[in-house]
Amino acid sequence: MIEVKALSKRYHDGTVALNNVSFRLDKKISAIIGRNGAGKTTLMRILSTQIMPTSGTARINGIDVIGEPNRIRKMAVSIPQEAKPIDYMPAMDCVKLYLAARGFGRKEATARAEKALRTVGLGNDMRKLAYELSGGMKRKVFVAMAIASDADIIFLDEPTTGLDPFSRVEVWSAIRAIKGQVILTTHYMEEAQALSDDVLMMEAGKIFAHNTVDRLLRPFDGLVRVESQRRNRRAYRVGSTWISYVKKGRAKSMVGKGDVIKPVTLDDLFIKRGVNLES
Amino acid sequence: MNLKFVSAHAWLTGGAALRSNWLYMITGMGFPLSLLFVVGVLSKGAFLPYALAGGLISIVATNGIFTMADLGMFKFEYMFKDLIVSTRTSPMDYMFGVMLADFFWSIPSIVLYFILDMIFHILTPYAFVMTLIVASLVLLSTASLGFVLTSLVKHQRFVWAITGMLSLVMMIFPPTFYPYTYLPHPILLILTISPTTPAAVLEQGFFGLAPTLWYMLYILIAETVILFLLARYATVWRER
Repeated sequence: MIEVKALSKRYHDGTVALNNVSFRLDKKISAIIGRNGAGKTTLMRILSTQIMPTSGTARINGIDVIGEPNRIRKMAVSIPQEAKPIDYMPAMDCVKLYLAARGFGRKEATARAEKALRTVGLGNDMRKLAYELSGGMKRKVFVAMAIASDADIIFLDEPTTGLDPFSRVEVWSAIRAIKGQVILTTHYMEEAQALSDDVLMMEAGKIFAHNTVDRLLRPFDGLVRVESQRRNRRAYRVGSTWISYVKKGRAKSMVGKGDVIKPVTLDDLFIKRGVNLES
Repeated sequence: MNLKFVSAHAWLTGGAALRSNWLYMITGMGFPLSLLFVVGVLSKGAFLPYALAGGLISIVATNGIFTMADLGMFKFEYMFKDLIVSTRTSPMDYMFGVMLADFFWSIPSIVLYFILDMIFHILTPYAFVMTLIVASLVLLSTASLGFVLTSLVKHQRFVWAITGMLSLVMMIFPPTFYPYTYLPHPILLILTISPTTPAAVLEQGFFGLAPTLWYMLYILIAETVILFLLARYATVWRER
């Protein structure tokens, strides 16, 4: 379980990345979503002992993240955003090296790495050099590290950014195979919806919503999203598109030529706040 | 110390990786061997023994500079440093792991130089043992320097700039390829700012090419201790 109280982070250049954030995460998979610069990565880096916060407290399973980093490092795995396997090494060796960093001996690291790589579907590719692997396979190498570590807490920072839809679904399957508590950041709403038991929504260093996907979407019950290029004073504007929410039954009768009807997603919580997630 | 990580890193990114990336090994030999060739031709063979003695130091220093470049790659390209900060690995484990991995890549060059030293009849058992000691100090000092600098820079392009400058300061100016006696003493003392200068001076003494200036050993040891302590205590690991 992760408990965060009044956590803030101000960088040397004055940027406030986190502003008095408090929450508790105790579900199997939690997603932290928000647009770029919302503070997701800073939060993950603080929780995984990579950087110090400016103020506030954070505890993982009762252990102080700020004061006892070495105890946290034994129980938590953190896979950074944009991490790449060392490209001149086989996938197998990349996982073994990570396990050695976590204190596993050669024999155990080899056995665990092999098993984890099979679990994520890289059984036939584990001897390939990392540069020979596709983008999805490379991300799966990191998920294999998390699985093989058998850690209590796993932080995955944007694990599928830049992957094609097929690879993303493959990585999702691999993430579901992780035994410990998973905290992942993403700006793909369907990823949060597909994987997570609860969702933390961030914007400008603050949390503005925290609940299960169903509860977060409850205000939109019975509604669909209508995207139109025509100006509409009662709609939300995102770029040159006007977005409104109408009852499912009335949608077809209300839409004009070129309008698009879509199901409501977590995106819409941001849209209603005037936040363009793609920006 | 997490010796499992140090040995795994040294072997997996060094020894094992060497087999599938042998071209880089030749690249590592390129600079010292090119200088050896140029110095040999220009001096009509007169400086060849000096270049052979100093070339070993040059290879080990190149290793240190490669360590810095690798640390930069691991930090900025692979995000490997971020990956292992949240493990049981300490900064010193990491530094030793990368340093020893790069040392694997240098072994063929070192062996080649020792063979050349034997061919030119300048290698003695005494020179061999002392060379190992001096080379170890140069390896540790240059790797420590690279480790501190890499932890402070914010982008890979600075790493390339710094390694370029370090190559000049560590391998061109110091008397690694020419007799140190050609340098005015004050200049020699100024050049001791690079650990390769005292190392090269000592090597020329151990190989019987010039008088041994023992105070250079103290300078080299002091530099190694200072740079190691800097790496130990000034490296940014958990960022603020």
